[in-house]
Formats: sequence, structure tokens, C-alpha cells
Amino acid sequence: MSFQGDTAELRVPYAANLQKGEDALIKAYVHGIYPRSESVVAATRDLDRGRTSPEAVEESFGRDQDAFVALQRLAGMDYFSDGLLRWQDIFRPLVEASNGLSARTLVRWFDNNSFFRAPAVQGEIGLSGLPAVYAAAHRVSEPRVATLPSPLLFSRAAQGESHPNDLMSDLARNVLRPLAERLVAGGYSLIHFQEPWLTYHGVEDEDFKFFSESLGIVTDGLGATTVLQTYFGDAGPWASRLRDLPVDAIGIDFIETDFESLGSNWPTGLLVGCLDGRSSRMESVEETVATVRRVADELQPTSLFVGANSDLELLGRVVADAKVLLLGEVSARLKEGSE
Amino acid sequence: MTTMKPLLTHEIGSLAKPGWRVKAIVGAALTEADIEDARVWGERLGVEGHETLLEILRRSPLDSEQKQQVKDWSSRYGVRLCESAGLDVVYDGEQQRSEMYAWAIAHANGFEWRGSTRSFDNKYYSKAAVTGPISMATPYHNQEFGLLQSVARAALKLPITGAYTLGVWSFDEYYATNTTLTGTAAARRARREDGRRQLIIDLARKLIRPNVESLIGLGADWIQIDEPGGSTEPGELDLFAESFNESVQGLSATFSTHLCFSDYRLFFPGIERMTACNQFNVGFANYDSRELGTSGEARPGYAVLPMFRDLPYKPYLGIGVLDIHTDFIEPPELVRDRVLHATEVFGDPNRIHVTPDCGLRTRSWSVAYAKLQNMVAGVELAKKELGL
Repeated sequence: MSFQGDTAELRVPYAANLQKGEDALIKAYVHGIYPRSESVVAATRDLDRGRTSPEAVEESFGRDQDAFVALQRLAGMDYFSDGLLRWQDIFRPLVEASNGLSARTLVRWFDNNSFFRAPAVQGEIGLSGLPAVYAAAHRVSEPRVATLPSPLLFSRAAQGESHPNDLMSDLARNVLRPLAERLVAGGYSLIHFQEPWLTYHGVEDEDFKFFSESLGIVTDGLGATTVLQTYFGDAGPWASRLRDLPVDAIGIDFIETDFESLGSNWPTGLLVGCLDGRSSRMESVEETVATVRRVADELQPTSLFVGANSDLELLGRVVADAKVLLLGEVSARLKEGSE
Repeated sequence: MTTMKPLLTHEIGSLAKPGWRVKAIVGAALTEADIEDARVWGERLGVEGHETLLEILRRSPLDSEQKQQVKDWSSRYGVRLCESAGLDVVYDGEQQRSEMYAWAIAHANGFEWRGSTRSFDNKYYSKAAVTGPISMATPYHNQEFGLLQSVARAALKLPITGAYTLGVWSFDEYYATNTTLTGTAAARRARREDGRRQLIIDLARKLIRPNVESLIGLGADWIQIDEPGGSTEPGELDLFAESFNESVQGLSATFSTHLCFSDYRLFFPGIERMTACNQFNVGFANYDSRELGTSGEARPGYAVLPMFRDLPYKPYLGIGVLDIHTDFIEPPELVRDRVLHATEVFGDPNRIHVTPDCGLRTRSWSVAYAKLQNMVAGVELAKKELGL
């Protein structure tokens, strides 16, 4: 099979390696922070108000995590996430498990009605242990996906006095790499890095090589599949440099990006972010499948992942659940087309 | 707009809802501790006749009429908390409302709920989608304003949620009808933005303005249009300003707005067009140092003050001096220094008001009360320094 010819049918360029069914080279997964269920919302609110116990809240989280894993299984996801349900923001568990970092100032999460506490550098940085949020990871089915902030995002969101590129390298070497190693040793086979900063704010040209080096610090020889997901902005202007980053696949927000701007002969893997994590409207399965097929035909990535363009956290749980099921349908249709 | 005294103090909007109010309204069992809490705060704040509340609470579970009575008592407590702390301008802390977004949307036609969405940490809001034409179902602050008029001894300010924030906090399933992945990303973006413009201007004209007109008809003379979502989309500051003007232009009252947790530089030059706005209330303490000092270096959270000072229509500026996301009780001396810094930047204490960064609903009443008392004490220290 090849990518050439009829665009109505997905043709995968790595035919020799193509396997069907569970081992198909098209992979679908849910990345990032997932919205908490209404019962966890109520439980955590009650905890803040002193009306329930931490143990009761943890039980609620456990039920929610189990339900989310079951949903992913029902949808036919290829990797399983814990939904980062216990995470207060994408940095907090890492900050709390590291020396030299704290979290205080609330900062808007890009152009959303959502906020994170900016990591504040207060001394020598180093991961002191596995963050507590992974305590229930064993309840998540394998293969597992973990989501972490990319070194660029982490360094730019942080507040400190050192140069952001020095901080990026420091965070990569002393927080992200040791954590990623522990996750891989603990059974995570895909490490997904969130990188909205690049496509939303951009970086200076001279900073990009530091970004690439820092990412390499985390990913080189890690022993897991690595994906860097850009979102909340147009990846087109960065395409020529994204394709050379030291990861197995680059995630593109196709709500904000025209695939034509990415060039052709994509030399690495591709995560097609094709479901809008900020819209409550349900996408059309047919149209989404057609879009992914067209992207794959044009770019001919070495591996193909499908998912949302961003975390689904900004949606209500019911809407997010429906999008996961929709993603499963899209994935199934794509896999059917590859057989 | 009437002239206001220098360094006027006021709350921004919300206070936590007391446990006895929450439990009574949802029908949960009230404990003796809840009733004791109502008694202690009733005495502490000098809420006249609060024994009546205690009697009502002891009758729980309550019928709908009794629940409304509990809400009304909660409003009395909120107003007295502000007055007892020494604020010049008071409000009840949204005791009659569910939440600033949900209350407005619940009284509008054209929306459907889409579940809880997290704002930060364990704080969430119920988010709706616009699914049809927008209109006001019924004026939604009249009952509250009537009650507060009868209760407040100090001057009243009524906060209402603004059109831009309501729009940007909602999903759009009606205006931007075509979100298909076909076509260019630029075309998708343009459709999305056009839809949001229509949504927000409709909210201003068809929901906010009629509600404001209704309040003015009842005698409201200071209405604060809350816009915590104001800078969500940096490219839409013109729309933000336009929606404010559409909401209030030509109406007779003092109109202010509240901005928080944003990069405030983004508001400029957009808000130069917000000529109908007499006063801005802006949160700064969250970004500031806790060390004492009145210099610019000592007060990094207030670096944007000159931009507000130089607005051509010379609005008052309410400076946030209390970080509402921590239990840290700002010492009066820290409040004093923040105020002195602002007055020095403005060169005119008459244009400075003093407030918390935002509503205090995430703090306990003990913390909120202590913060507000220290805020007032800090203002008195500043006045002394300034010879006011």
C-alpha cells in the first residue's frame, strides 16, 4: 500500500510493517488533562470547604479514573491515560515533587477561562520523587500514555531569575528526564509532551535550538514512544523545524493549522489533532476521517496518531466523553480503511 | 457621575456562602455547629434580629419560602460584614445568586448547560452553550437590589456580570454555525470570531442593557460590570470595549468595571474607547511582592498603573490590594504601601479607590473579614501619611 492514488482510502506508506487490528499502526489516544466528573467536582469542592475527608475524595477520584479507563476501552483507544484527573494543572504535581520549585501566582492558561499556578524557581531544581498523582497508576490498563509539559512550555510558564533557556535545560535534565525514566520503568510506553507555547506565543529563532536540545535531554534513549503536541495556534510557520525535533511524532492542531502549510514527505510521525477540545459541537465522523486520510496522504508520516487538538479539560465531562467515543469511531474507520 | 471621596474602599463582589445557607438551600441537615456559626457571626457583625434566623434554621428542612428567608438573612450578614469591616461602599457578596455566570445565564433565554468546567485548582463553574436567540427571561437583580436597599446603611454598589465575560465563558452552538474542518484554518477562525462578535453584542443589547435599565429604574446609581474574562482574547479588546459601551451608553448611573488575573497591558489601547466607564477595579496584589515599600521596584505588581492613569477620560482606579487566593492576611502596612505607591503614580489620591483583587468567595468569612479589616486599617494609615 502507499499514500499515492485515491485519497478516499487511507494508504499507509510503511506497508511492510503494517499489521491489522490491535497492532495497526494508526493509534488513537486521549492526552492531557481530562475533565473531572460531576461527583469529583462535588467532592473536591466539599474538601475545600471542610465538608468531606481526603480519603473520600480519593475514593471518588478512583471511581472516576476507573470510569475513564473503561470509556477509553469502550472507545477502542490504543493507549490508556489516567486522565490526569488529580492534577491541579499541568505543572503542579511536578512542582510539588521537586526541590527548588513552588507554585503560587495564578496565570491565565493561554486564551481560556482557566488558570494555572506558575512554577516559581526558588533554588536548585531537582525531582525528589515520583509525584503522588501516580500512586493509582497501576489501575490504568496498559499500554499507558503519560502527559508531561514540554521543556519549552515549562520554562516559559515558570517564573525565575535565570535565563529561560538555561531554565529549560535545567527542567529537562533534573525534572522531566528523571520523571520520564521512572514512568517508562513503571510501564508507560508513550510519553506525550504538551507544547502550546510555541504555536501560541512563538519563540526567537535562536531559542529553537535550545528547545531541541532540551527535548533531546528528555527523549534520547528513553525507551518509549514520544510525541510532542503543538496546539492553540498555527504550526505552519514552525513546520520545517518541528519535523527535526527529537521525538517520534509531532502533534498538530488541525483546527488552527492548514495541512498544506506543513509541506510534504513528513519525515517523522504525526499526531493529527482533529477534534476541537474547546468546542462543545460534535465533529462529523465522516468529515474527520476524510481529513485525517487527506493529511496522511499528503504528508506520509512514518507513524500516524489521532486525537484531540488539545486537552479535553475545557469541556464538560459529558461532552468530553462523547468526543472520546467519537474519536474511537474515527479511529476504527481509519483502521478499517488501512486493511 | 457623583464625585467620590479619595481612597474610597469597597468589596468587589462575592463572599463565600455560609455553611448554614448552603445546607439550608440544598436541604441538607443542619448541625448545631452550623447554627452556632450563624449566632456567632450574627453577634460579631451586629446583625439585628439574627435570632429569627436561628429559629428558622432550627426548623430545617425548610420549605421554599423559608429558604428564601435564609438567603435574605445571608444577604444581611454579607452587607453587615462589609459595613463592620469599615468599607465605604458595600454589597452582600452575591448571597442571592448561585454564581456570577450561572445566575445571569439562568435568567436568559437561548442557553443550555454543558456541565462543570474547571477554572483552577478545585474551583469550577457550570458552563453553558448558546443554542438559540438570546433574550432576557426576567430582570435578574431586581429582587436582590430591593432587599439590599432596605438593609444597607452604607452606600451600595451592584455588580453584574458583563456581556464579554458571559460570551467568552460560553460555548457557541448557534452563532458560528459552520465549524467544519474543510476549508482553511483562517476561514474557520474568521467564522468563529464573527460568531463571537454577534454573540457578545447580542448579550450586551438583549440581556445586560435591559437588566441595567431595570435596576436604574429601581434607583441603582452605581453598577459594576464585572469582566474577569475581559482579556481572554487579546485580539478582541475592541469588542470588549464596544460591548461595555453597548451595555450602558446613555444610561444615567455610575458605571465601573472589574478586571482581574490578566496581563493588563493587553487592555491598552482597547479600553481607551470605553468612555462610558467611570471607574476600573483591577486586581494587582496577586502579582505583587509581600515586602514593604512604596517604590516601583518594591511594588512589581502595580507596574501597569501609569497606563490606567493616562486614560483620556480620567476614570477612577480601584486598586486590588488583597490577594484573594491565599489566606495570607495582608498587614495594614503592606496595604498602606500599595496605596501610597498608587497615589504617587497617579499624583492624585482622589482618583484612587482601594479594593480586594476580586471577590473573596474562595476565602472563609474569618479570613475575608480579617483581610477587609486590614485593608481599611491600611487605608487609614495611608490617609494619615497623605494628610487626608
